[in-house]
Amino acid sequence: MEKLLQVDDLRTWFRTSRGIVKAVDGVSFDVAPGKTRAIVGESGCGKSITALSILQLVPEPAGYIESGKIHFGGEDILERSWTDMRGLRGREIAMIFQEPMTSLNPTRTIGWQLSEAMTVHGKDAPVARTRALELLERVGLRDPNAALRQYPHELSGGMRQRVMIAIALANRPKLLIADEPTTALDVTVQAQIMSLIKELQDELGMAMLLITHDLGIVSEVAHDVSVMYAGQVVEAAPTRDLFHDPRHPYTQGLFASLPARNRRGQDLMTLDGIVPDAANWPTGCRFAERCVHKMDACSTAPQLRVSASGRQVRCHLPSALEVTK
Amino acid sequence: MSTTPPMLDVRHLVKQFPKRGGMFGKREVFTAVDDVSFQVNRGTTLALVGESGSGKSTVGMMLLGLLETTSGDVLYEGRPVIGLRGPERLALRRKLQVVFQDPFASLNARMTVAELVMEGMRVHKMYANDAERRARAEVLLGQVGMPAHALDRYPHEFSGGQRQRIAIARALSVEPEFLVLDEPTSALDVSVQSQVLNLLRRLQRERGLTYLFVTHNLAVVDYLADEVCVMEKGKIIERGMVEDVFDHPQHATTQRLLAAVPKVEM
Repeated sequence: MEKLLQVDDLRTWFRTSRGIVKAVDGVSFDVAPGKTRAIVGESGCGKSITALSILQLVPEPAGYIESGKIHFGGEDILERSWTDMRGLRGREIAMIFQEPMTSLNPTRTIGWQLSEAMTVHGKDAPVARTRALELLERVGLRDPNAALRQYPHELSGGMRQRVMIAIALANRPKLLIADEPTTALDVTVQAQIMSLIKELQDELGMAMLLITHDLGIVSEVAHDVSVMYAGQVVEAAPTRDLFHDPRHPYTQGLFASLPARNRRGQDLMTLDGIVPDAANWPTGCRFAERCVHKMDACSTAPQLRVSASGRQVRCHLPSALEVTK
Repeated sequence: MSTTPPMLDVRHLVKQFPKRGGMFGKREVFTAVDDVSFQVNRGTTLALVGESGSGKSTVGMMLLGLLETTSGDVLYEGRPVIGLRGPERLALRRKLQVVFQDPFASLNARMTVAELVMEGMRVHKMYANDAERRARAEVLLGQVGMPAHALDRYPHEFSGGQRQRIAIARALSVEPEFLVLDEPTSALDVSVQSQVLNLLRRLQRERGLTYLFVTHNLAVVDYLADEVCVMEKGKIIERGMVEDVFDHPQHATTQRLLAAVPKVEM
């Protein structure tokens, strides 16, 4: 199938006093129309910078896209200037962040902000106002008429995230980038928001790139998943395959470190050591120092290998790509 | 059941806050904790779970004496603790320590790790002098898996997981019996969370510590806690052994909470 989004060998670097920090260092993945790809990883792995790179929202001047290609609907959108990206941002590609309070304007009403999201992309003001009301109804605000006149601080965290979703979906984007959309919310609100996003995704046939550290959410919503470690994708596969049978030692470690009933009374797996310095990545495997399978070959950098079934693993272990069934 | 009193016995605890507003200055109150009772037995872990605003952290703050109670009793080893003054209060404060969620906020950035870990020992006049306290701090750091050279560094030089271990070493420095753990792993990545959980389990095994674990993370409760109290709007709505409550939740809110946790299908 034709891919909606295709990211190839993306490198997003930062100039710092410590030298060049290679936050994203050769990342590739794609998102099919209407499907969800999750990018998972722990703090500092580069997942959020990957998401920001797609919209050219990397904090400048320190950050810059060193190389790589990002195709959206067949067009290399890295060729677009920052201003030309405006036609795409919020229209074809929308984004929601973890903390809606920092993305919403505290001095404007919800109605104003929703309408603006549409009028900047050419909708007439009266049409935008009517649609704003419809959107607030659709995302489940209890009193949408009142909400139009309210300010962000008057709403709860869950309601604010619903407003963010309404704004993101106002122009029926083809791709939604959701960066930790429910991390700040209580678990029952989180469940409501994720099921709302899924419903709307089906309704609009929208694709989603979901950035998260939460393996539970990935398991429930993503079709495909890429695991990032130290600025690179270390493993990628259809979600079910990856969860049933993780192949990269880092992914295996992540799963083994999860607390659960059947692990009571036993120590959980830990990943000893720390992530290497992004200003000075090791020349060999970046996970080697923490890996229980470390061997001589790990002093050279492993390439992302692809199996016949389409699994990708960045590891020298022969078993990483073996067919087990 | 044995006849020894529970380590901690909380009876009909209430906390009310004055509400702002109210017409004609009428005094209205908000009840954050509403008639909460529970017991924690020595060497066990009781989890207090609920969503934000359920009152679970407020209970923890009152047990630590960081917040005054409106009414109710708290008995520690059978003796009332509310209203204690002077040396008795100080003695209790030594036995009851706390580890907070955010090791960034709870460790004074201007103190070295040695000063942070030695502070409690100084307050409680433990050990003869600072040289002995420092030696003790080094042992404690070793027990939480931190190197001795960490002593003369500052908290910002460490990762979140390391900082949380420093906070635990600090809590342990005064030889407590009871730890209130308020979301101690919520700010941590899972691979670091597992280190802290393993450490907490080991310390409980070795020192017979008793834990009150305040959290919204039900997977951690399922792994670590013996008993659980589920809170909503200031009240305990369900309590019991973790297996019983999680496998057969009776209250609709408990059922909703459990159903909302995304499952990792492996």
